[in-house]
Amino acid sequence: MTITRINIGPVHPSTHGVLRLVVDIEGDTIVKVEPHIGYLHRGVEKLAETRMYMQIPPYTEKLDYVAPMSYDDAYVAAVEAALGVDVKERAQYVRVILLELQRIASHLFGIGAMCNDMGQMFTVFMWGFKDRDIVLKLLEDATGSRMFYVNMRLGGLVRDLPPGFEDEALEKLDYIDRRIKEYESYLEKNSIFMERTKGIGVLDTEAAINLGITGPPLRASGVDYDVRKNNPYYVYEKLHFSPMVLYSSDNFARYKIKIMEIKESIRLVREAFRLMPEGDALGMPVKLRSPDTKNRIVRVSRELPRGECVMYMVGDQQKPYRLSIRSPNFINLAALDEMSRGGRIADLFATMGSLDLVMGCVDR
Amino acid sequence: MKVEREKFSETVDKMRKEGFDYLVKITAVDYGDHLEAVYMLRSIAGNKDETLEVQMPEDDAWMPTIIHLYKAADWYEREMHEMFGISIKGRRMDRLLLEKWDGIDPPFRKTFVWDTPYRTDEGKK
Repeated sequence: MTITRINIGPVHPSTHGVLRLVVDIEGDTIVKVEPHIGYLHRGVEKLAETRMYMQIPPYTEKLDYVAPMSYDDAYVAAVEAALGVDVKERAQYVRVILLELQRIASHLFGIGAMCNDMGQMFTVFMWGFKDRDIVLKLLEDATGSRMFYVNMRLGGLVRDLPPGFEDEALEKLDYIDRRIKEYESYLEKNSIFMERTKGIGVLDTEAAINLGITGPPLRASGVDYDVRKNNPYYVYEKLHFSPMVLYSSDNFARYKIKIMEIKESIRLVREAFRLMPEGDALGMPVKLRSPDTKNRIVRVSRELPRGECVMYMVGDQQKPYRLSIRSPNFINLAALDEMSRGGRIADLFATMGSLDLVMGCVDR
Repeated sequence: MKVEREKFSETVDKMRKEGFDYLVKITAVDYGDHLEAVYMLRSIAGNKDETLEVQMPEDDAWMPTIIHLYKAADWYEREMHEMFGISIKGRRMDRLLLEKWDGIDPPFRKTFVWDTPYRTDEGKK
């Protein structure tokens, strides 16, 4: 049979931004998928070399515009490590609460977008957006802005949680908890959803490790690795956190792991509220003259909603000499070829949706 | 851990056999007088991380490929090649990954000249 080459994108409703896929097909079986990236390359790593330390969070936040808080935290943690700043105890709890809320919002978006990619299930896309907005409202109450927060400061936060936040958050989380059960019963009894996810896009454990994929796709392939557990930061050690692992390695596992992580995050937030001490959570002023960090090398790992982010930073006077960001989406997208090879062209977008890509994070 | 470029391939080979089965990231730093390639490896079972730093002169920038050991190296090596002008020996790179840079220095090197000045508010009142 002859091999046909088709071009998808860069502008396409299912490509989560601007991504071009060049797909070789034989009949409707995929022989090769070649992602062409770089349409959103903004050179944030280079730009960071020209700004002072605390001028950079607005840039790093915009890398992953679905979960900006997580990138904010990862970058500020790298600066804290370079300067040797300790985070206040209450601030650690508040950060964990905000990060887990962000994870819930991001996963709701991810599940919705995946269902949208598969056609048919636009309902879940609307549900995902509606429920995500409830969480974003909570984050707005806590930080003052709905999408781009810039809420981390050295050693703490810009502002502490407002009074009454705990009651409101717990109430909203109870609602999300109920909604998640609806998602499950709606999707897992839907034959179209199950046929396009069960056994599609399989990536076995060995290949997953060798391809270096990370986050929910890695744990869906049966690898028990979560930075929050294996290399714990903040108060995750105190919070009885256990990573979610599934072994079926297909699209369904990658969807299911997000559902399980939402439930775990809700539990973590509740527990963090219970254990959170009173006190001060405010960070240092932004115009602080930092000590000399010339040639100081730090490497900080954080578990973002989409996977592990590593900030490798070489310090200079008051600013980074080089900031290198390991973006989880970049390496997950590189594995798309291996996942979808041998499958049907129609299932390509189901597989891509299950990876939960954000192109800003891929290109940096 | 600092490694010489001549011994790099055999070091990675040895570490791969010792259980470092996961490649976290490949990146590079331009220190002005020399370049440094940084390889972050991880043993998932042993929960251990190791960083290999390989120094090389600016005018003779190349690294041997490790794609036969870690498939994850594919895009990272291409990115390093484009952004730092470090050529990768032992593999083919058919097309550029991120951007097309014609006739300019590799953009992440310190010799790269910014086209537009840092502040572009000249001439404004």
